[in-house]
Amino acid sequence: MVAASMPTSPAVPPSPTLTGWSTPLPNATAPTLASAVLPVAMRGIRTCFGAACIHEGLDLDVRQGEILALVGASGCGKSVLLREMILLAHPTAGRVLLFGEEAQDLDETGANRLRQRIGITFQHGALFNSLTVAENIAVPLKEQTRLPARQIRDIAMLKLLLVGLPPDAASKYPSQLSGGMHKRAALARALAMDPDLLVLDEPGTGLDPVGAGALDDLVLGLHQSLGVTVVMSTHDLDSLWRVADRVAFLGRRRILATGTPAELSVREEPELVAFFQGPRGAARSRAWNRG
Amino acid sequence: MSPSRPEALVPGHGQAAPTDGPRLLWSPDGSTLLVSGHWTTLTLADLAGMPPRPDLGSARGGEIAVPQPEAGSSPPLAEPLNLDGRGLLALDTAGALQLHRLTEAFALQGLAVQLSGFTAPHLSLLALVRERLAAAAEDLAALRPNPAPPVLARVGQGAWERMGEGLGLLSFLGETALAFPRVLAHPGRLRWRQILQVVELDGWRALPVLGMLSFLVGVVIAYQSGVQLRLYGGNLYVVDLVTLTVLRELGPLMTAIVVAGRSGSAYAAQIGTMMVTDEIDALRSIGVSPLELLVLPKALGLILALPLLTVFANLAAVMGGMVMSALMLDLVPETFIRRIPEAVTLNTLMTGLAKAPVFAAAIAIVGCFQGFLVRDGADSVGRHTTTAVVQAIVWVIVIDAAFSVVYSKLGI
Repeated sequence: MVAASMPTSPAVPPSPTLTGWSTPLPNATAPTLASAVLPVAMRGIRTCFGAACIHEGLDLDVRQGEILALVGASGCGKSVLLREMILLAHPTAGRVLLFGEEAQDLDETGANRLRQRIGITFQHGALFNSLTVAENIAVPLKEQTRLPARQIRDIAMLKLLLVGLPPDAASKYPSQLSGGMHKRAALARALAMDPDLLVLDEPGTGLDPVGAGALDDLVLGLHQSLGVTVVMSTHDLDSLWRVADRVAFLGRRRILATGTPAELSVREEPELVAFFQGPRGAARSRAWNRG
Repeated sequence: MSPSRPEALVPGHGQAAPTDGPRLLWSPDGSTLLVSGHWTTLTLADLAGMPPRPDLGSARGGEIAVPQPEAGSSPPLAEPLNLDGRGLLALDTAGALQLHRLTEAFALQGLAVQLSGFTAPHLSLLALVRERLAAAAEDLAALRPNPAPPVLARVGQGAWERMGEGLGLLSFLGETALAFPRVLAHPGRLRWRQILQVVELDGWRALPVLGMLSFLVGVVIAYQSGVQLRLYGGNLYVVDLVTLTVLRELGPLMTAIVVAGRSGSAYAAQIGTMMVTDEIDALRSIGVSPLELLVLPKALGLILALPLLTVFANLAAVMGGMVMSALMLDLVPETFIRRIPEAVTLNTLMTGLAKAPVFAAAIAIVGCFQGFLVRDGADSVGRHTTTAVVQAIVWVIVIDAAFSVVYSKLGI
């Protein structure tokens, strides 16, 4: 959603009724609050499974309009953190604020209202196998809006085009798609409601470097054209350097460091050194710092 | 482009609409259409029903073509039409698509549309939508919804699919039958652990539910026949009726139906899920035959377990009959038991028990076969699991009828 910043309208008398169906226009000068509020703010998050705690005193902010990459070793709790962010899981302790609203205080209706503003792709796509791609994209629209079926089909087709899928993919079933198309279709479903926040769990996993690169381009393009805030967890160093405005490094059960990829690549913490200066990281860091 | 906003359209201060929903308003001279409010996915439905209608793009003949200026003033539409976005509070791709369709509808009427007053982000979003649709225009035009096939074609296809499935079941039966002697020739390859597991899961664990059901069936038979027999004073013959029907027919049949529901579904679901997660292919790639690992142990285990279950069900049903007889017909259990050898012979028991292994094989094979038919996805697993149960029960009853025919021919 692109919020308008309107010029101050001149002071004029209220409009006379035009034809009888005219309703007063909204006050176009009202400032949009969304820009002032952090999409996601997590404070003092503690997540435990039995005796094992994977997050302890974790703080994380996601800023409006940025692409934040969440990185860290396998099993450090990236996916769990993302699930807590999108109200699919609740931390053992700590506060999660979504668009300024306290997640704990939300009832189911409130949570659903927030979920409409968040688009999600899961690690394995999680497209509904029994539905075609177009039907998959239409599911949130059918459930959350009262739009007529024709218009929903129209919107679904547009989303398909936005993620770079050919129109004839609309009638295909997820099992008929290649890995890359599958990811794109999942992204199209995440975009169905034109979310303010896009949460991508390992978007490039299972793709070849070319396909992963194309997906990175797509995320960048969507971010620019739609102005959507993106949070993605990733292992892919290329994607990290290419896409992320900011990187949050998850280690020692908290956010060990945040910053641009270039900033984090020169940090001294052993975990960060291992990640950025390890055999695979070093080459990437050199290449990107040179380029 | 109008240099200044038409006075009549300027929002009154402090009287924001309750929803800030999407609005389209005509200027009095009909030259400008003012776009205002939130044009987003969630609010867009509020536009429906207001002129102009959202289905404008298609509705040229019937419903509503292009919104006309109010009836009183009849100035012709100025060319080009001005779409004024100054009142637009928010726009997302769905809203942009709606506006795009609106301009398309005007274009169909031969009206050029000029945009004015839109912010740069809104303009770029509109441009994005326009470009994407234009780039794919050819492909979109080539898309044709598949017409629903005629009835005859559907009937034919359905019959063809049924036949394919029937042949598949037949060849699966053949494969399994061929695998039997192969494995029996090398008993070391027999997977005893799996077989015993089947005996435990599908035999031992079924005892409570089977026992209860059979007991109740015994009660019912004793009651129904007791009501009639009492009229003739033939109370004692309730023993004959209960034991004969149970041992020959109802014991094996009830057991098979309960097991078909419990285990046939489980087999289909297990194998089906393994199909979805490629585990079956993984087994093949390791050089393990899914038939030997999954199907044979199930079939063998069930062939062992079902006769045992049948004996148990027979016992429970006769017990039920005995209890009911004692309560209703004052037939003391001692008399009841003493009468049994006169009513039935070992032969009666064996004719019933002989069916059990055949039922077991049918249940296991139909269940496993349906599991292997699963393709991509959870709902496929569900459908084939249901089919497995239904088909297994159908086969059990068909086989039972076949046995009856054979027995009557043989005079058993």
